[in-house]
Amino acid sequence: MTDINLNAEAVSAGANLSYWQLVRRRFMRNKYGMVGLIGCLFIIITAVFSGFIAPYGPETKDRTAIYSPPQTIRFFAPEGGLTRPYVMGFTEEMDMNTFEITFVPDETQVHPLALFVKGDPWTFLGMTFETRLIGTTDGSFVHFLGTDSLGRDVLSRMILGTRITLLMGFLVMVAACFIGTIVGVASGYFGGRFDMIVQRIVEFVKSFPDLPLYLALVAILPRRAEPMSIFIMFAAILVLLRWADLSRELRGKVISIRSMEYVRSAVAVGASDNRIIARHIVPNTSSHIIVWATYQLPEVILLESFLSFLGVGVQAPMVSWGSMLNQVRDFQSFAAAPWLMAPVGMIVISVLAFNAFGDGLRDAMDPYSND
Amino acid sequence: MTDPLLKIENVVVDFKTVTGTVNAVRGVSYEVARGKTLAVVGESGSGKSVTARAIMSMLAENARVSQDSKIWFDGEDISSFSELQMQKIRGNRISMIFQEPLTSLNPIYTVGDQVAEIIQIHRPMPKKDAQAEVLRLFKEVQLPDPEARLGQYPHEMSGGQRQRVMIAMALANKPDLLIADEPTTALDVTVQAEILTLLKDLQKSHNMAVILITHDLTVVEKTSDDVVVMRYGEVVERGATRDVFSNPQHPYTKHLLASEPKGRPGPLDPNAPVLMEAKDMRVAFTLAYGGIFSRKKTDLVAVNNLDVTLRKGETLGIVGESGSGKTTLGMSMIRLQDANGGKILFDGKDISTLSRKELRPMRTRMQVVFQDPFSSLNPRMIIRQIIEEGLIVNGIGENAAEREEMVAKALEDVQMPRDAMQRFPHEFSGGQRQRLAIARAIVLKPEFILLDEPTSALDLSIQAQIIDLLRDLREKHDLTYMFISHDLKVVKALCHNVIVMQHGNVVEAGPTAQVLETPQTEYTQRLVNAAFNVTAA
Repeated sequence: MTDINLNAEAVSAGANLSYWQLVRRRFMRNKYGMVGLIGCLFIIITAVFSGFIAPYGPETKDRTAIYSPPQTIRFFAPEGGLTRPYVMGFTEEMDMNTFEITFVPDETQVHPLALFVKGDPWTFLGMTFETRLIGTTDGSFVHFLGTDSLGRDVLSRMILGTRITLLMGFLVMVAACFIGTIVGVASGYFGGRFDMIVQRIVEFVKSFPDLPLYLALVAILPRRAEPMSIFIMFAAILVLLRWADLSRELRGKVISIRSMEYVRSAVAVGASDNRIIARHIVPNTSSHIIVWATYQLPEVILLESFLSFLGVGVQAPMVSWGSMLNQVRDFQSFAAAPWLMAPVGMIVISVLAFNAFGDGLRDAMDPYSND
Repeated sequence: MTDPLLKIENVVVDFKTVTGTVNAVRGVSYEVARGKTLAVVGESGSGKSVTARAIMSMLAENARVSQDSKIWFDGEDISSFSELQMQKIRGNRISMIFQEPLTSLNPIYTVGDQVAEIIQIHRPMPKKDAQAEVLRLFKEVQLPDPEARLGQYPHEMSGGQRQRVMIAMALANKPDLLIADEPTTALDVTVQAEILTLLKDLQKSHNMAVILITHDLTVVEKTSDDVVVMRYGEVVERGATRDVFSNPQHPYTKHLLASEPKGRPGPLDPNAPVLMEAKDMRVAFTLAYGGIFSRKKTDLVAVNNLDVTLRKGETLGIVGESGSGKTTLGMSMIRLQDANGGKILFDGKDISTLSRKELRPMRTRMQVVFQDPFSSLNPRMIIRQIIEEGLIVNGIGENAAEREEMVAKALEDVQMPRDAMQRFPHEFSGGQRQRLAIARAIVLKPEFILLDEPTSALDLSIQAQIIDLLRDLREKHDLTYMFISHDLKVVKALCHNVIVMQHGNVVEAGPTAQVLETPQTEYTQRLVNAAFNVTAA
């Protein structure tokens, strides 16, 4: 029994922390990763409660304000002195030489702002609410990020667009992960001819030129279908070309895990293939899958925005960041209403946040990290 | 007494980790003079390698060396040197040899270029002169065919040859101090002796100081002048090797010295029935080589038509150098490896033709314990799940509570506490993990266990405990073992009969005492020499 006494001390250093507890501690120490996590949470909360946070609905039109520029929140009364936050309405003026319409803040139209005001109804989980996060007390319109060609509030559409963009991201990510994991694990574990055939299919899928194929595939989607079914089909097309990477990476990892001694001892006690895959192989690839997924999300967001910007992605009346940018695809509208570019900010923030989160996770899960 | 070449005082190294600060080295001092060998002994985790890396200032990024640590090298305090100053010293005046010769050489450069690079960094000279210097070094380290080796890549050489290249590299700039970190642990026993002899000779001819880090006490006794025994980052005993070995003071040193595998296997009933029999076993691997249009195939015969018989209660040792086919033979006998021919009878039943599904009922009766305790336990499962798995897949035990009781009993058998059940494998040391791996095998109440080098990845003092445990378990549960090893000391302590293998063939077989005391072949003699008298080679 001497060995237990001799070893007890040496072991105590790393005692009683499971793998995931260790990962969490390492992650919490990484500032960049934590900022990313907070950014991700912020975006996800925005998507879930978009009805509450957005001042108006996606199709609410303010006919008096077409291409109205952003209104600034003011804290100082025109006559001086601190006051409750308010915005000013605009009066339109036309330059008689260039016929350019300019919007000038009008000191006579003062609309005080308030939190939790009554606004357009919105639904969440089948329940209908009327309270919105922010609005004017007198019921007049306020556009913090201006309006578009139909007088729709850019801020509201951007917040509501988070939902579709993220939904697309998650849908594609989850489906691609699912297919990629099944194909990759099966291919690596069973090996032989099956592996040979699967890997040739993966190579075939990967050898497609991405962009022309997306455009071609999107072009054959029925135009007159429901926006929702187009959305699903669009997601399916993205998945079709995304699973291949993961399946190839996992195959390599599974081949190395398959020859580990704990897998061979599972064979020695008589475990079936299904059990070995579910209990030994997949849990030991999970960190790889999770990290891959967090990197995949921003990629899908970018791709979706890009295709929607070209007008072949998400279709109206659905709103996504990309389809909003579609409105500024010509130079005149960009010059006249630069605030329509606001979704770019959201895309950049979300891509950075998810990438930072993914980096942090990867460092935290790195099996070779010794600190 | 000459001035020491290297003197370290009160070296403290901490590692900052997520789980807190680990004090790896807590105030270690030692010194070594020119022409002397200092052995640093201790189990893994005792801080002996970390101290050596601190001397070279080659620690990991999360390591902190305390301000009070002083490292005097040839009269200068090198602990305060900048990275640039250290670069001039590393590989030039202080060299290091690492444990694993395969990973410490760069696979994409020829060994000649790698050694020449070291020379040219510290002593600028034309490439031609450097090559000539390398050739001289290769001759000095007794590399066979030194001219031909210059253009070879590391993978074209054997482990022993690679370690000779590493030594040549370390000697390239005539260092004053050579740090050898477990230089022979990864090598075959027979090669081990040759490398140690070489190191000893070179030390004499260069008048170097050598710090030899090792856990192998036989090596220490035969090669070092002074010894420092480390445990938990502290020096527990120091002195001249002869004195320490003849009269150890600290209980830990006594424990280490007493941990050579001892004892003999219990008696074997001469009338015991045959449990397992392999007839005419043949395993061959097909190697494909050549271009696409000139594909050639060759068969590498790992096991060449062998017959093995195990009687009930017997422990059969299979020994040989790496690559001799001993593991392949064992694995194919329990059908974890496909054989190309032969018949395996287990308890009178032919199992060589059964499918994996048909084998399943037999699996509980024959089990296996692997060499590496770090990869043989799934890191994502707790111990209870790991040991319980065999019970679940074989439908043993009515319910969870009953299975838990069986797991607890198996843990008790291997002398592990019951609360180990709820913990993860990484919380245990190598020796404890090997106990858990044994528990996983015996929980199924097998009759036969294949032990594939179960002790070779462990520290010496723990090896002996595992051997004792295996011997106790054999008597308690009436087990039959097939014990694969390259270490004859262990085989001597555990096995009734032994088979010596080389290149897939049996060289010698018979009762252990007879084979070890009167070896008939030159190969067996070499193995025996390497195990029992290190410097004899």
